[in-house]
Amino acid sequence: MGNFLRNVSRNKALLFMVLPGAIWFFFFSYLPLAGTIVAFKEYRVSRKGFWASIFNSEWVGWDNFKFLFSTEDAFVITRNTLLYNIAFIALGLVFSVLMAIILSELVSRKMSKIYQTGMFLPYFLSWVIVGYFVFSFLSMDRGLLNQMLGWFGMEPVQWYSDPKYWPYILVFVNLWKMVGYNSVVYLAAILGIDRSLYEAAMIDGANKWQQIRRITIPMLTPIITIMTLLAVGRIFYADFGLFYQVPRDSGTLYAVTNVIDTYVYRGLMTTGEIGMSAAAGLYQSVVGFTLVILANYVVRRIDKDSSLF
Amino acid sequence: MARKTKPKAIRDFQQITPAWNVIFNLIAGIFAFMCVFPFLFVVIISFTDESVLASEGYRLIPSKWSLGAYQYIFESGDTLLRAYGVTIAVTLIGTVLSLFMIALYSYAISRRNFRYRRFFSIFAILTMLFNGGIIPTYMIVAQLLGLKNSIWALVLPLAMNAFYVMILRTFYATSVPDALVESGKIDGAGEFRIFFKIIVPLSLPGLATIGLFSTLGYWNDWFNALLYIDNPNLVPLQSMLMRIESSMQFIQQNSANSNINMAAMGSLPQDTARMAMVVLATLPIIFAYPFFQRYFVQGLTLGAVKE
Amino acid sequence: MKKGKKRVSLAISMLAAFSLVLSACGGGGNEAASGGEGTAEKPVDLIWYTIGTPQKDVDKVMTEVSKYTAEKIGANVTMKMIDWGDYQQKMQVLVASGEPMDIIFTSSGGFDYVQNARKGAFMELDSLIDEYGKGIKDTINPAFLEGSKVDGHNYAIPANKELPQQEVWRFNKNVADEYGIKTEGVRTLDSLEPLLKTIKDKAPGITPFAMDKNYVPYVPYDYVIQNLPMAVKLDTTDYKIVNILETPEMKEALTTMNKYYKAGYVAPEAATTGSTTDLMTSGKWLLDRAQTQPLADNSWSASYGYPVVSTPASDAIITNNSVQGSMMAISANSEYPEKAMEFLNLLNTDPVLRNMVDSGIEGTHYNKTADNRVENLPEAKNYDMPSYSLGNNMLLYLNPNDPENKWDEFETFNEAGVDSPILSFNFDPKNVSSELAAVQNVKEQFWSSLMTGTVDPETYLPQAIEKFNQAGLEKVMAEAQTQLDAWKAENNK
Repeated sequence: MGNFLRNVSRNKALLFMVLPGAIWFFFFSYLPLAGTIVAFKEYRVSRKGFWASIFNSEWVGWDNFKFLFSTEDAFVITRNTLLYNIAFIALGLVFSVLMAIILSELVSRKMSKIYQTGMFLPYFLSWVIVGYFVFSFLSMDRGLLNQMLGWFGMEPVQWYSDPKYWPYILVFVNLWKMVGYNSVVYLAAILGIDRSLYEAAMIDGANKWQQIRRITIPMLTPIITIMTLLAVGRIFYADFGLFYQVPRDSGTLYAVTNVIDTYVYRGLMTTGEIGMSAAAGLYQSVVGFTLVILANYVVRRIDKDSSLF
Repeated sequence: MARKTKPKAIRDFQQITPAWNVIFNLIAGIFAFMCVFPFLFVVIISFTDESVLASEGYRLIPSKWSLGAYQYIFESGDTLLRAYGVTIAVTLIGTVLSLFMIALYSYAISRRNFRYRRFFSIFAILTMLFNGGIIPTYMIVAQLLGLKNSIWALVLPLAMNAFYVMILRTFYATSVPDALVESGKIDGAGEFRIFFKIIVPLSLPGLATIGLFSTLGYWNDWFNALLYIDNPNLVPLQSMLMRIESSMQFIQQNSANSNINMAAMGSLPQDTARMAMVVLATLPIIFAYPFFQRYFVQGLTLGAVKE
Repeated sequence: MKKGKKRVSLAISMLAAFSLVLSACGGGGNEAASGGEGTAEKPVDLIWYTIGTPQKDVDKVMTEVSKYTAEKIGANVTMKMIDWGDYQQKMQVLVASGEPMDIIFTSSGGFDYVQNARKGAFMELDSLIDEYGKGIKDTINPAFLEGSKVDGHNYAIPANKELPQQEVWRFNKNVADEYGIKTEGVRTLDSLEPLLKTIKDKAPGITPFAMDKNYVPYVPYDYVIQNLPMAVKLDTTDYKIVNILETPEMKEALTTMNKYYKAGYVAPEAATTGSTTDLMTSGKWLLDRAQTQPLADNSWSASYGYPVVSTPASDAIITNNSVQGSMMAISANSEYPEKAMEFLNLLNTDPVLRNMVDSGIEGTHYNKTADNRVENLPEAKNYDMPSYSLGNNMLLYLNPNDPENKWDEFETFNEAGVDSPILSFNFDPKNVSSELAAVQNVKEQFWSSLMTGTVDPETYLPQAIEKFNQAGLEKVMAEAQTQLDAWKAENNK
């Protein structure tokens, strides 16, 4: 005990530095964790407030989970979350690296800067704004897309009620928003590559394509690996804004737009099924946790300094 | 050969062929245009005359232009102004607060001689892996901290972020030499003094990056307002845009200008006014981001990539 | 010495953080309403959540209301309004998280009464009514109190208003007159077609058929749970619960809706539109469907500022939905349940209070033109409240156009209503709660787009039925049937 106090006293300045943050983590991250036990309960409101409601609710063991997995929902939201994220990661990577290489090879640096600034814009917009943008294209009676179909004599499409288009729309919108940012990040890495490598290659007679294949891409591999692994770690978490704001919460689209995050949110806000919603949330946390640990382990083996912990 | 050290010199010793240069310019140009186009389109819609919308839809070149939407917004304008005020206040307070908390926390856990370094690192990291979900979080903010309908409900939930803590920790660990801290200690400076006098000036680029990321986070946040704000006077911009998505009622209800005649509503530019709101809410970002671009690029490279 | 001090302060701040948490865990447990509180000198504060677009002058009016109620029963009142579209969702979270509240608006459609009573959100009121709510028992039509019992107990005070529920087609008279539209002979959904077509052809800027995502075509069935596809036919003899989506009536209605949608009579985004408020304020619509009450046309016209007329679309039926259409419950976590009941009692018996809550402050929002007549002032638009949700309707002052015998007409209307076969049967979903949750999810997915005609029932109806069954609807229906049979035997139907 005395030892402990002495240590605390010796580190008091640094302890004071972590104090505000630690208190925040305690209130906003750790305390809510206690609430997740509601996944094992049949939630009933108690007059003594939220915590009392949770603790007084009846234990139902794994019932909430059993039921969640007996419905089609569990499969659908897991599939959607995973497939979309895989598509985002894979296509995002290909397009971003491609665009970064293109930007790095442009003769005019000024043009390159202008393009960068342009494609950087979507990253700064909120999903609410993006939702409005998408609506201006997809609105059934006024949207630009249906007008364009009209020019070709085609029937207007009910975009917001026909699920078959949405996997493409969502992937497109996500790429639209993220590729610019990511390619500028990769570009920064490309510009950081030691120029003498290229000079040496040139002296050896390597042409531009060979240089890209033999120098640029190999030199980018570490950062690509790390960014991808970090994304893989988050593969069980979907971007709530994308899946909630962009499809305008249209019911017919749920089959292809419902992901774990929106399912949990709706369970809470619309249907009020707190137990099942918490079960889905916990399922996400546990699987997500495993994936992050795994991804981090792999990152650690590749480049120790880049791992999160 | 002095030119070789300048980055521009690279281009000189081997460029892509002019044909490829054209193709690359086209690809990059088209994509960049696609990124900017929706915004321009919404600007066009906002200047369209409401009366032609019903017959011709959202046109690239509408048959009739109008300033009506903006006129309407500025006449009933205090709603928009108030939302601006809330967003600006939240963003300023939030950025300063979160920068302060994140900077101190990550500095402490970057110090090798901090005895509880490991504990507090893990304490932060675990929060990235698990979260309690909306209802318990809501309960803490609303009841325990009593922040409902207060701008703190918009500020505090976003104040800390373990990911930023980790990024900044790595930044300190790699770009602030231990020897500096040691020499500060030998001069008799306390930890806080060392931090503010030596560390902060050295780590300004890192701090700027984190600060800008949190500025952006606050500016674009709508989720916290969705949960915690009912008072129409405290609704931030993004949340207001959500509220007017299906009805302009919100603007009409909360305007202090009671001269807006409800009976004349028929001629009011509802659809175009909505788009005008989107434009007005986006403008500050459009103007500001090109200047801060490089800090955002640093963001990921800071933590994830080492030279 | 100095060192020690710092150490202590660290310990204290940590302790403070923990005690905050602990106090919260035990919080709300201290029994309130102890001696000395709840008098005119020291009134208690009642928090009242109700439905409707938040009004600018609510706080101002409630200050006046509080002066009155503090005097009468020793309670101040704070009213919190939540907009129509948000009410269900926001209340869900507020109640689940234990937000302090005393009085809650509830109905079969907004913040579902039966389900939430069973979840423990509301206080059981039987003894409170006997003790503090005598006036309620004397004034309110007994059919309301009887029909809103859940498992034999009252959990909320229904508003005294029209008892049966009758659907009508409402017409925007200005538009109808301008395009020479005759509303005679209109009743069924199909009979609307020529009218809608006229508007579509002649008036491009006007929405022929206004609706939001909550629209459901009328079919002569009564739902076991509002807006879930289990229902019993109104003229049933065998009390069989059927899947409403499998009934010929619904199939036909949905086909018609889809036809209308495709023809452009319905707004393209109807299935995702939260409210028709914009259309109503702009007046750019021809017709919509609504529930009526006697002289409803008058109040609609007054509220929109242009004439609205209506014709019936269904018979007047007394259903659980209509009986439980507007109620006020006392929250399970209320600190002052007795005061809350005293307030509800006063609200349902005292014309001064009831009208203040409804119309605002005399001289500011309205003027009295006679003993029981009022006329709105321009400021009334800052306090425009939905009358039906705020307690006993029959205490309200009359509007300029209302006939003197308005409330007698209500009585007649109530007398004339026909009971639904399953009136006062309340389904207890305890045994199938998980299935019901899954069914709810399927409903979220299909309901709005089917009902508004956005999608073709030819392809989507079979899909929806299959998804509902996969989610366990058949099991839920079987359970409901068992309960209904038992209830039927018990009540000798």
